[in-house]
Amino acid sequence: MAKILIPTALRQFTAQQDSVEVTGATVADALRHLTEQHPDIKKNLYNEQGKLRSFVNIYVNDEDIRYLDKDQTELQGNETLSIVPSIAGGATLTAEPPPAAASLSNEEVARYSRHLILPEVGMQGQVKLKQAKVAMIGAGGLGAPLGLYLAAAGVGRVGIVDFDVVDASNLQRQVIHGTSDIGRKKLDSAADRMREINPHLAIDKFDAGLSSENALEILRDYDLVVDGTDNFPTRYLVNDACVLLKKPNVYGSIFRFEGQATVFAYEDGPCYRCLYPEPPPPGLVPSCAEGGVLGILPGIIGVIQATEVVKIILGVGETLKNRLLLYDALNMRFRELKLRRDPDCPVCGNNPTVTRLIDYQEFCGIKPMASQPVNNTDAIDAVELKAKLDRGDNFLLLDVREPHEFQIARIPGSKLIPLGELPKHLNEFDPDAEIVVHCKSGGRSQKAVDLMKANGFRHARNMTGGITAWSDKVDPSVPKY
Amino acid sequence: MIEIEPEPWKTMVRHAETSYPNECCGAMLGRIEGEKKLVTEAVPLENAYAGEQGARYELRPEDLLNADRAARSRGLDLIGIFHSHPDADAYFSETDLKNSCPWYSFVILSIQRGTFHHANSFLPDLEQTKADKEEFKWPKF
Repeated sequence: MAKILIPTALRQFTAQQDSVEVTGATVADALRHLTEQHPDIKKNLYNEQGKLRSFVNIYVNDEDIRYLDKDQTELQGNETLSIVPSIAGGATLTAEPPPAAASLSNEEVARYSRHLILPEVGMQGQVKLKQAKVAMIGAGGLGAPLGLYLAAAGVGRVGIVDFDVVDASNLQRQVIHGTSDIGRKKLDSAADRMREINPHLAIDKFDAGLSSENALEILRDYDLVVDGTDNFPTRYLVNDACVLLKKPNVYGSIFRFEGQATVFAYEDGPCYRCLYPEPPPPGLVPSCAEGGVLGILPGIIGVIQATEVVKIILGVGETLKNRLLLYDALNMRFRELKLRRDPDCPVCGNNPTVTRLIDYQEFCGIKPMASQPVNNTDAIDAVELKAKLDRGDNFLLLDVREPHEFQIARIPGSKLIPLGELPKHLNEFDPDAEIVVHCKSGGRSQKAVDLMKANGFRHARNMTGGITAWSDKVDPSVPKY
Repeated sequence: MIEIEPEPWKTMVRHAETSYPNECCGAMLGRIEGEKKLVTEAVPLENAYAGEQGARYELRPEDLLNADRAARSRGLDLIGIFHSHPDADAYFSETDLKNSCPWYSFVILSIQRGTFHHANSFLPDLEQTKADKEEFKWPKF
């Protein structure tokens, strides 16, 4: 008896046997015996004309019967026959057009004519832009110029990730949004403006905060990522996701009058963690909401990012890979720092230890007090504070903001001591006194309370939400900034 | 549906990326658990296409035979075939269809500018007239 090995997919026709014993003097006889025992297998091996299907090869031991006597190849009865498909294929770009149209319409030619006459862009480059897919994290300060220019430049698809709503305080810098957009989702406002600039643009809207759960899924379908985030957890998240997905991460950040830009995770270059292996302690670096930012600054940095995005897509020029560009608006100076990939980097190094996305809130130390027991008597909210003031309780209301903030808005009866000055003034207070501390939104005041507790002030409490919450919940006449 | 374990997936992506700008090909071995095909091992094979390999591949039947034997000897099944599409999407092309076989899952990895971009799995029909997309899970690193 010869034996025919049955491919996995055909075992449903042979009662799950992985081989079938057959008799026959030739291969044709043996196959006939197989199809007699298991008739359902026949249509898999033979076409309607009764010929072996084009993809079916029969091997006798190690020999292809095409090089023996075809199906008249003689059998002794101890052979093993194998059914081996012939498989080939390929993308064959010539045979059919790729899904995205690889050419420009007359209207597009007219629109992009100043690009098309640049030899570095040309028809080929403009088609590359049209086929490019860019993920934009954030539609805020950096996202505004990015969105406008990427749309105008002819990038084919932009995915925007943002969960925020346009606020009056955004309009000083986020030029993609207008006054009539206040209260709208930034996603909708930005998308409308971008489509107005360029109706050829496809936009994917992700109404969510980027998280470890959704980042890989969202970013996977894009060619590159441009980071317009304003906080450390998301910045590390974007970085790690880009390294894991091998997508270039076009980075920018802004603070007060200074900005930075570079390209991470591109070719053999470094990632954000090579530059900053550890996040700063929470609260050390104030956010733009706390520290302020020159409205024009994100315009410059975002446009630098947009430039790098376009260069990477076109494959022209020298990118900021391995260089951190520093911009100082007050003194109008650009500087550069050399960057290098760190072979010991936990994400992009030679032996990475971070091989999946982690909890970035925890990594940046801003997990909601998991390690310290939350003591509710430490906190007081705006409404409680108002009641306390109305009752005429005897306590000190301490404002730890900066003097220029105090000029914008204040809570009546508060005493101003900026956080940085506080240590010098601690001895001026009675350690047993009841003290309520506030700032703009509750971050700095928590640090002040921690400091005071550590120095024996047992009755110091933080006012959650700061003067912003006061304006929201107690006194709308106090301006928000 | 077909699911690929992390180790074979890494092997496949690496094979596809290092073969870039040429197409690569290989075999996927594993187990069938009810409705699910689980790939536990990937075997990179040589692209035997005689011409320009940027947009073509061919599997040598002998290589496939050996992969099938290797699978059987370890109690595994030959479940599918993978190949790459350099700088093209992971779609089942006319060439793929005309040289396909309905017995296996066909996983295609799109490699864009040298790095993995996305992938799909297809099940071609017996007459080589169409291929349905198969539900497909690869590891999310």
